[in-house]
Amino acid sequence: MNEVNTKPLKERSATRNLVSHLMKDRLAIIGLILVILVTSSAILAPMIVPHNPNKINVRNRLKGPSVENWLGTDQLGRDVFSRVIVGSRIALQVALVSIAIAGSCGLLLGMMAGYGSKKLDGILIILFDTIRSFPTIMFALAVVTLVGPSLNTIILVVIVTSIPVYGRIVRTQTQALKHNEFILAEKAMGASKLRILGVHILPNVIGPLLIIASMDIPVVVTIEAGLSFLGLGVRPPTASWGSILNDGYAFIRNTPWLVIAGGAPLILTTLGFTFFGEALRDVFDPKLRQEVL
Amino acid sequence: MTYYLIKRLGVAAITVVLAVSLLYGMIHAVPGDPLSVILGPRATPEMKAELNKRMGLDKPFVIQLGTFFVNVLQGDLGIDVFSEKSVSEIFFGQLPFTVSLIFLAIGWSALLGIPLGCYSAVRRNTLIDKLTGVFSVGTIAIPSFVVALYSLLIFAVWLKWLPAIGAGKEGDFMDRLSHLLLPSFAVGLGWVGYLARLVRASMLEVLGENHIRTARAFGLKESTIVLGYALRLAILPTVALLGVGIGNMLSGAVFAEIVFARPGVGKLIYDSVITRNYPLVMGSVIMTTILFVLFTTVADLISAFLDPRIRENL
Amino acid sequence: MSKSKKTEPGYQQITRRRFVQLSTATTAILMGEAAFPRTSWSADRNILRIRLYSDILNLDPAFIKSKNEDIVNGCTQNKLIAFKPGNKWEWGLQAAEYMKQVSPTRIEFKLKEGIMFSGGFGEMTTEDVKYSYERIADPKTKSPYVSDWSLMEKIEIIDKYKGAIVLSKPFAPLWMTSLPGSSGTIVSKKAMMSVGEKFTTAPPTFSGPYMIKEWKAKQVTVLVQNPAWTGPKPEFKEIQFYPIDDEKTAEIGFEAGDLDFTRISVSSYEMFKTNPVENSNVVNKPSLYYSWLGINAENPVTKDIRVRKAVQMAVDINDVLEAAYFGMAKPATGIIPPGLIGHREKTINPPKANPAGAKKLLAEAGYPDGLDLTLDCLNKTTIITQAQVIQSSLAEAGIRLKVNVHESGQFWVLGSEKEMKEKVKNIQLITNRFSSQPDPYWYTMWFVTEQVGVWNWERFSNAEFDKLHAEAAIEVDPAKRDKMYQRMQDLMEESGCYRFITHESAPTIYRNSIIPAMDPEGVPIVRHFKKA
Repeated sequence: MNEVNTKPLKERSATRNLVSHLMKDRLAIIGLILVILVTSSAILAPMIVPHNPNKINVRNRLKGPSVENWLGTDQLGRDVFSRVIVGSRIALQVALVSIAIAGSCGLLLGMMAGYGSKKLDGILIILFDTIRSFPTIMFALAVVTLVGPSLNTIILVVIVTSIPVYGRIVRTQTQALKHNEFILAEKAMGASKLRILGVHILPNVIGPLLIIASMDIPVVVTIEAGLSFLGLGVRPPTASWGSILNDGYAFIRNTPWLVIAGGAPLILTTLGFTFFGEALRDVFDPKLRQEVL
Repeated sequence: MTYYLIKRLGVAAITVVLAVSLLYGMIHAVPGDPLSVILGPRATPEMKAELNKRMGLDKPFVIQLGTFFVNVLQGDLGIDVFSEKSVSEIFFGQLPFTVSLIFLAIGWSALLGIPLGCYSAVRRNTLIDKLTGVFSVGTIAIPSFVVALYSLLIFAVWLKWLPAIGAGKEGDFMDRLSHLLLPSFAVGLGWVGYLARLVRASMLEVLGENHIRTARAFGLKESTIVLGYALRLAILPTVALLGVGIGNMLSGAVFAEIVFARPGVGKLIYDSVITRNYPLVMGSVIMTTILFVLFTTVADLISAFLDPRIRENL
Repeated sequence: MSKSKKTEPGYQQITRRRFVQLSTATTAILMGEAAFPRTSWSADRNILRIRLYSDILNLDPAFIKSKNEDIVNGCTQNKLIAFKPGNKWEWGLQAAEYMKQVSPTRIEFKLKEGIMFSGGFGEMTTEDVKYSYERIADPKTKSPYVSDWSLMEKIEIIDKYKGAIVLSKPFAPLWMTSLPGSSGTIVSKKAMMSVGEKFTTAPPTFSGPYMIKEWKAKQVTVLVQNPAWTGPKPEFKEIQFYPIDDEKTAEIGFEAGDLDFTRISVSSYEMFKTNPVENSNVVNKPSLYYSWLGINAENPVTKDIRVRKAVQMAVDINDVLEAAYFGMAKPATGIIPPGLIGHREKTINPPKANPAGAKKLLAEAGYPDGLDLTLDCLNKTTIITQAQVIQSSLAEAGIRLKVNVHESGQFWVLGSEKEMKEKVKNIQLITNRFSSQPDPYWYTMWFVTEQVGVWNWERFSNAEFDKLHAEAAIEVDPAKRDKMYQRMQDLMEESGCYRFITHESAPTIYRNSIIPAMDPEGVPIVRHFKKA
């Protein structure tokens, strides 16, 4: 390090840590840029679309990229680039909301299962495995029947199917940590369960969870694509990355560009959130925090 | 250890019962009847009523559920309403194809993912690490049906290296294998990235731990350290993930089975749900639930075995 | 170094060297596959490989589930008469030596002598014909095809080969549907008795040029030559039927050389024509499907006939067809396709939309600022594309359309009173399609009053229509029938409940090494396929 730092360890704020760590990690910077790109596209969508994403122009269908249509056109001649921009709204809405909620619930339940009594663990395991062994399609069908096909349905389906996955991973990590000497020492000193969980276990299990969660964005969109495929997704003509992918698959023999248009933003978003998420984990991870200094 | 095993199996059994009952409830909450889907207008109201009666759907819900479980315990999974064959015959006829698909897919992801993750962890923050990072995460984001179709186009049509459709000749191992390579690759590719990143992250954590530093201080070679200590402990979260992965792979298998026109359980369940073929849905799902719960239990046991800290606590 | 490795139990020896070894081995396997030539189509022209869009479920003529089973039975069994390949719906004699309509209710026939059933079940006799047809007509059998034979009173046995079909009332559709269709398949009475009168994928005996060697669920159905066949030698040693759901996969399978004959999707037709696969042909045939936009006569909003007529006027059929069928399908003039009796020459509302006229009607009906409607449709790409074009068409007339996409389980009960009860009245607009056997009777039968709440989801009810349908079934004069069926379609359109879309199309691709035989709607008559 070039700068001479005279401030004692504890006083350097977490934010400064984060920023200085990030500046050194090029992937993290790229990640941040991508996240900002996708998020602003989602927020500003209606203002930045070059064409009306729903305007049909059949004579101009399934064309590749051109000056007029940067990502080409779909089977109804609609501008794909505009649809991708609008789709970012739905993708982020569904992904962020469902992953945030599922992640938090999974974290909580996973820690409880891994750290708590055997009985609690047993009950939670049953719950997790029951949900996970369920065919998602059946669950999606049932929810749609009850709630109707809408964005909220997709979010609900994703949340319910993701919680057990996160929960199990956190549980395994928690179980491994439970017997760490450090934890046992804290216990011996009379630290409460809450303190142990919050201060010692949480930062250690959140790392892998953040990584898995940020890598789950494409899974969410693929679930949405699968639901669109079944007709349980967003209503036509709404553009979502999932429905663009679905259309792209149907017309893949005519043009590869639809699939690329549906897949590329997905890849970029995943890259962005994953690398950014990993950077965040690096900051939260106490072992690595020491290394950074 | 035996007590733990029994307990886990008990838990597994309860899970199966719960899942299946839930499923039963859902099926009946959702509109649709199998005859309308398959026969369309040829299905008369009388035929539908007759089928309902045959499937026992006219009885109260609890009795239906109870009868189903009693039958399952006797080994009777029910009869498919269309082909009039037993569900067991249909299901177990399709199962080997999906099992081989999933295992080979895991094989692909482990083969490519674990070394990738190790290498990235050991060569942290070099260009290689970053590139493999981009590659790993990128492959996660590509939907499996796209991978499936493109690999079909590239390898079966343009290059003509591998066959396009079906599962291959019965009894001909090499033929079966050649038909499995592409579909399993399509299913497994998405997991390469997950595994690589997870192995990398776990190894990074482990590599920073005290006993590793001690080993280094003692002058042990880096490769010994990586292989001997770190890798073993990094496998733990990986095994947990694989336990999760099997469940997801079953859904992923559906796409591979559709695109490659392969027989399999994924597509069987998908089709039977879409056509409301109740006996087939129930029978298949109870079997897949049992297998799935078995796999996760085994994954748990392996984790326990590999991590002495968990094992001690049993 | 080696010491410490040996003392560490259970770890993996994944060194860099090993990784390279493994990847080389994999590459070698892949390359090896390329080194050994795969059995491509050119290697064995005695084997015919055909794609079916779904697997065989039940080959029993009384219980077949789809057209695919009839395609297979067409090779392995016999009917008295069968459709000739070509562009017109014509039948030719198959198991029958002659067929004579001696009166409107009596058809006399004689079987060819010496048609044998395999497996030692003996010669085909009138007993077998009687058993086969009466079985389907018998309500106790509970066959979905009972209506094919319901007007048959009995099959009279005159002697071993001669018999008569006795009808209770004249039944015009008999010649074009029941007899040459799947319900005309003749099974062996003796063989059926030996299997308890039931079979699904393993028929007890075969009388056709081919027989089933094996059926592997969801993989393949294999046919070989039938030793009991005494007619002209079959062309191929083996026929393989592959069930492939996804059309893209079928197309790729054809390109990869794994198939000789398959249906392709309309969106790929152009591509195959401009970039042909070597040694192949594409052909496009019209189909017997009819698709339409239905409008519910009993929904609170659409029960006003002005609203319905406005919707009819507002939909541009040309746009819909261009988008969804890539210009390969023609607008339908009704439900009865060209080539059949009763086909209308043109519709009352032209295919082109008239948004101004629609707006005027809506204003009259009390919706000067347009209105909101819903459309229910099935989740197939073509149908969803269609729905979006309809949505855009209607928007020009001020109608804001919400599209509800359904998967098949849910879709096929939307209009069924038994499943949905009162909710059937919630349907406003719905796109639907069906196909029938080549006689107009089977087309109009679903739109009678009796079918309301069953398969008549538009809840269209017209007394004149019902009467004409009943009369046309027993009318033997084709000219008179023609007028009656045309009038029925006029009534459908006038009610405002129907905007006819298209009869679709059936593009197919096949190898130059075979000469396929197809019926007028492109369904393969595999029995008559020949080598080129």
